[in-house]
Amino acid sequence: MKMNTTTKKLALRNGNQMTAEGAIKAGCKFFAGYPITPASGIYKGLIDLLPLNNGIAISSPDEISALAYCVGASMRGVKAMTATSGPGWALMIETVQYAMITETPVVICVVQRLGPCTGGATQGAQGDILITEFASSGGYTIPVLYPTNSKECYELTVEAFNWAEKYRTPVVLLTDKEVGMTTESLDYNKLNAPPNANRHVITDHDADYENWKMYGFDSPDMIAKFAPVGGKVKVTATGSAHNAKGYLKKNDPETLATLKHLEDKIQAHRDEMVLVKEDHEKDADTLVISFGITARTMKDAVKKARAQGIKVSSLTIYSMFPIPKKAILKAAKGCKNVIIAEENINGQYRMLLEPLLKDFNIIGINKLGSMITPDEITERIVTL
Amino acid sequence: MNTPELCTYMTQGAVMPFCKGCGHSNILKKMNDALGKLNLNPNDVCLVTDIGCIGLADALFDKVHTVHTTHGRSTGFATGIAVADKVLASSKLKTIVLIGDGGSMIGLLHIVNAALMNVDVTVIVANNFLFGMTGGQTSSLTPEHFNTVTSPFGSMNPSLDICQIADASKAGFIARKTATDKDLTDVISEAIAFKGFSIVEVLELCTEHGTKRNDLKGNMLLKMAEEEGHKIGVIKNSPVRPEFSKKYETDVNSHKGEIKPLKYINPKFIHNLKKPNGIIFSGSAGERVQSTAAMFAEAALMSGLEVTQKNDNPVTQGSGFSLSEVIISPEEINYTGVASADYVIVVSENGLKEIKSQDVFNRLNDRSIFIVDDSLVIENKGLNIISLPLRKYCGGDKAAVGAVDYVIRKFEPFPHEAFKLLLEKRFGEYGKIFKEEYYKL
Repeated sequence: MKMNTTTKKLALRNGNQMTAEGAIKAGCKFFAGYPITPASGIYKGLIDLLPLNNGIAISSPDEISALAYCVGASMRGVKAMTATSGPGWALMIETVQYAMITETPVVICVVQRLGPCTGGATQGAQGDILITEFASSGGYTIPVLYPTNSKECYELTVEAFNWAEKYRTPVVLLTDKEVGMTTESLDYNKLNAPPNANRHVITDHDADYENWKMYGFDSPDMIAKFAPVGGKVKVTATGSAHNAKGYLKKNDPETLATLKHLEDKIQAHRDEMVLVKEDHEKDADTLVISFGITARTMKDAVKKARAQGIKVSSLTIYSMFPIPKKAILKAAKGCKNVIIAEENINGQYRMLLEPLLKDFNIIGINKLGSMITPDEITERIVTL
Repeated sequence: MNTPELCTYMTQGAVMPFCKGCGHSNILKKMNDALGKLNLNPNDVCLVTDIGCIGLADALFDKVHTVHTTHGRSTGFATGIAVADKVLASSKLKTIVLIGDGGSMIGLLHIVNAALMNVDVTVIVANNFLFGMTGGQTSSLTPEHFNTVTSPFGSMNPSLDICQIADASKAGFIARKTATDKDLTDVISEAIAFKGFSIVEVLELCTEHGTKRNDLKGNMLLKMAEEEGHKIGVIKNSPVRPEFSKKYETDVNSHKGEIKPLKYINPKFIHNLKKPNGIIFSGSAGERVQSTAAMFAEAALMSGLEVTQKNDNPVTQGSGFSLSEVIISPEEINYTGVASADYVIVVSENGLKEIKSQDVFNRLNDRSIFIVDDSLVIENKGLNIISLPLRKYCGGDKAAVGAVDYVIRKFEPFPHEAFKLLLEKRFGEYGKIFKEEYYKL
């Protein structure tokens, strides 16, 4: 038998394993985990990998502790991550807001499963889009990235850490049971992650030290330099509404401005946070939009529709939030119809896109309990 | 006590934001003195404060790091800070939690786990028997019969002995004091100096809500504790257990060489597949269904194919059905479900039931081949069914292995040699894995 002589670095890896490996590449040094299907693979992955990479992974007694440990570790100055699914995310919601208001970088991987409540632990779903994004009192934007396969789990985990570090914010890496737990062939030589970004740390010999404030800003796009607990610059962190120095204040214009800045800083950088993949076809009447596992179905569906002579474009969205509005409008330009396919009952992302796409004929493809199939999307495309 | 000489950690001239006679002021002054007694560099101290009146303390300490947290979670954040410091950073930090009785109740698990881990965190529980900031409501540390705004006829429950909880959680340093104890500074400094988890519960009066509703004076606190059966003083001072980072070094870090690195696969074989193939494996949990599918997937990868493997099982992993959907393809695979199965392997009754419930009979094409154990009856007519005595010749635990081996031998989606290599690695010599009769199939 003839032997193949290519030098590939192949392995069978699932999304959870590659999320763990992506975290290592990103420079993650701390992980705290609580088991939950379908996210436990990330926990196990980092329990094995972090000690080998000068980091530490620990077990926590619940999801609230898991995220609190991570936020504490990040405050000490190290990159930290946890992973969970819907029921665990529900428990983390207070703590993720703490990371938000204290401007502490942290990454949370939410591997979606069937809800509500305990729902179906071993069944996939894309039903946590709204609860992930709108997890804060006040509705502040949590940046959310959503890969479609194990390779992208690696790459987008690095991006999630980069965003967390650059913008001093919690970032959610949203995946789903199918992306997280489905094993697939992967060529390590093809991994293409961005270079690591690190938070800017204030030191007492910096030129701007005298004017530095814990949560200070001169302009909407400014991200205050970070001070680690245990460093020479005193940390004053609080989850309560605070002024720029970090002191609790009530009915104070500076405090309200500091709160508003939490949203402003994300909005000011939103154009840097656009990750989409457009498959444009000239003169297409229809654009299909999807993300996560359903984006893979969409690719096959578009191929099938084109084989039938239908002109159709597609858009895979990786940066779910802030919503990449310009990229979506650009992709939809010239089309009459926009199909949005997602594995939930109510069309969660579609709801959010409706005001943006008010001039288009919007069609939702939704499903509960199993993956949307290529035929289910193709049929809609060809009957429009 | 708030003099410039001693006041190295607290803001000079700080005005305590507490009601007259409240024990909090005293606790904070004694804690400040304890830090002074230990002569700690302020940069090496982190106060982690909880929600409630005692949580206002962070604004009074302008030299040390302060982290004001969410309700009850202070010990959780402190654990993260302390672990990161001890294992990954300077290892100099002293992390001190200030929490009330209410916070210690909602955050009890964080305290329990910090004690079990033996992280270098000191928890000071300012126990005034009620939620003061919100108007004087009952907490789990309110003594029985104690009158609060939500227990106007006296609290129904006995109070939780948090020191006993700490003891049951294997904490090394445990003390229960009152806010006016002369040696409070010494006990707090001992707790902070302790290498590992320490807890000091300080009994005190809420002059706004506690003393107005109860016939209570400071000198009655000890008697109250006694009546509840709670011990007083330094209850435990035993540095036997190693602090978390020391334990981590011996129990985990020193073993990291034993973790096996991932082995990459280089395709050694050449496949002859023109189109994607979908294979559904269905059987019972514990009978190597998913692991056989994984072996099949690996062999396909060794033959240069793209592969996906999507598993399904009930929530309890060791019972009921076990199912895998594998796609092997010469091109990139997008949709990971098997929409149209080329092979359906069914090796047990559970497996047959499951393919019915997962609608596999409507996911076939005109080439679909069923490989089933001969004990199973599939009534659908017109299907291409190959019925084999798999369980008889291969055993229940290897029926799936035998079925897959058969598919590869007979239909060669990729070289059988690739699969054989993996089989031999796992089960030994190929000719001896199954009963002799199997190889004649």
